[in-house]
Amino acid sequence: MKILVLGETSRDIGESLSAISSIEGDRVVALFSTSHDEASRASALGYKVYHLNTRNTEAAYKLLVKVYEAESPGLIVSVSTKNPRDVLSRLAGLLDLPLATNVRKISVGDGKIVYERAVLSERSISLEEADPPAILLVMPRLFKPIAGEGQGSIEELEPSEEPAARILEVKRKELGGARIEEADVVVGVGRGFRRREDLRLAFELAELLGGAVGGSRPIAADLKWLPEDAWIGISGKRISPKLYIAVGISGAPQHMAGVSGSKIIVAINKDKSAPIFRYADYGIVADLYEILPILIRKLKERKGLG
Amino acid sequence: MGDLVVLVKAALNPELVRSSDGDRLDLDSVPLKLSDIDRNAVEEAARLKSILGGKLYSITVLTWGPASLREKDLRLAVQEALAKGVDEAIVVADDSAVPGDQVLTANIIVGAIKSLGLKPDIIIAAEESIDEGTGQIPGRVASKLGFPYVSFVRKIDVSDGKIIVERDLEEVVEVVEAPLPAVVSVTQEINDPRPPTLIQIRRASKKPIRTLKLSDLNVEPVRKRAIRELRIIKEERKGVVIEAESVDKAADRLLEILESEGILK
Ligand SMILES: Cc1cc2nc3c(=O)[nH]c(=O)nc-3n(C[C@H](O)[C@H](O)[C@H](O)COP(=O)(O)OP(=O)(O)OC[C@H]3O[C@@H](n4cnc5c(N)ncnc54)[C@H](O)[C@@H]3O)c2cc1C
Repeated sequence: MKILVLGETSRDIGESLSAISSIEGDRVVALFSTSHDEASRASALGYKVYHLNTRNTEAAYKLLVKVYEAESPGLIVSVSTKNPRDVLSRLAGLLDLPLATNVRKISVGDGKIVYERAVLSERSISLEEADPPAILLVMPRLFKPIAGEGQGSIEELEPSEEPAARILEVKRKELGGARIEEADVVVGVGRGFRRREDLRLAFELAELLGGAVGGSRPIAADLKWLPEDAWIGISGKRISPKLYIAVGISGAPQHMAGVSGSKIIVAINKDKSAPIFRYADYGIVADLYEILPILIRKLKERKGLG
Repeated sequence: MGDLVVLVKAALNPELVRSSDGDRLDLDSVPLKLSDIDRNAVEEAARLKSILGGKLYSITVLTWGPASLREKDLRLAVQEALAKGVDEAIVVADDSAVPGDQVLTANIIVGAIKSLGLKPDIIIAAEESIDEGTGQIPGRVASKLGFPYVSFVRKIDVSDGKIIVERDLEEVVEVVEAPLPAVVSVTQEINDPRPPTLIQIRRASKKPIRTLKLSDLNVEPVRKRAIRELRIIKEERKGVVIEAESVDKAADRLLEILESEGILK
């Protein structure tokens, strides 16, 4: 079965190629990017690269339709990031192809594409099968990108018409470099914090424990009290520290799925019926404004700083 | 002046997944609720209606059956959308469309728009649902109708026949201009929807709900994927709530635990 891999970076393409490593068949790549350097890195993975040279999703979709017609793949794979999801949902609609996201495992058997994916805000795993041609988007950062072997050719594809939806401006987001994925201890802050300044309590606690501060989606994405690289959950980052302390976080499934790899989860919440207590190892029913200063003082005393 | 359409899903509630037999999900026992970000979509659609005028329709396709068991959950989800500003709800509840298949769902939505003669200026939907979470329906609908599509939108401005939106991507925000009619998917951050008031709920009960079958729409029940099995992910956690006579004592207890777990030295 021929497989078409779509991605915005050579790294993402490497992850998708790794997700399908046990499936036989030719591979071709479509890179959705305006970077020629990225195109040559992608070609170093060893397969032919169609370079969709645009940043517009509508234009990329139209170019991808041409690649699809030229190659007739039985399977299209990408990492589940936003622009590929946009482009591939359009292709799926045009051709009535099945499409699944959050895929963790792919195989082919009896002419069907068989895959496992997380559903229900990652409370469940769904084992599914689809008729080829099918589109599967794999979970980001789950597969280790394959190492390059050889040199594929690059075919440049430029949009032939002006798309109806035009990009007027691109604004880069400010990221904080919190590196919560690597920290041994993460203090997670939620909407239980009333003011941005109060996050100081979390930073002080994290520092005393040698850890980093992350937050729930409303804190990072909506209120923007933390940069988005500190966003924990299914639509943010997945972390697996030795200790995760959730402070003023209710415990929504979309948040908890991002911390399920933690060794120990501690929850601090003033509402004793908050769902987070069901998903924690240790819970304390307390007002964060009362308990955090006490914990900070006691930790300082232990370190002889008090 | 055209209409507005908002796509509304009655989704499986992930907070209430249950199993009666090991880790197999007992699908029929999981209740449905209005999918979280659909609230944001309805709120935004109502705001756009206040600017653009026209009539606001919702379209709901039942994707979890059996239809007879889902009537109440489905009605509650649709009524919440009606309470928050939808003028007329279109519901397709048909056992030949469950469990849902996104190829079919998109065909049903487009079939409903065409056969009811709706002329939407904007079709608005959530970035993804809380159950399947694929976010593919708005993109499918856009390419079937040949409309421009802007996804993951956290801000919409309307001005003379076009929209200017902010697409919220992983590393950048893209400002995009699109002509109408268009399909828009919105993120949870686009607004802060409030629950409907009692008066809104009462008014909603008088609004029309039109229930349709596939045969009314001339849509074939095609199916391109099958769910073989659904398993619950079991989270093994200790679930100990530290009881102490004071917050100070509770803090001591927590530090002792962290020490015995080898985290504090
Ligand atoms: C498709 C989808 C994807 C999502 N992705 C994510 C994601 O990646 N990450 C994520 O986090 N969320 C995500 N969400 C949102 C998620 O559903 C919740 O809305 C969110 O996690 C809630 O954040 P929170 O716990 O900070 O706020 P809330 O739910 O408002 O909880 C605040 C908590 O603080 C407690 N509290 C209040 N005051 C105090 C005090 N003084 N002391 C102690 N406790 C206090 C309250 O009791 C409450 O439990 C997603 C939602 C959807 C639909």
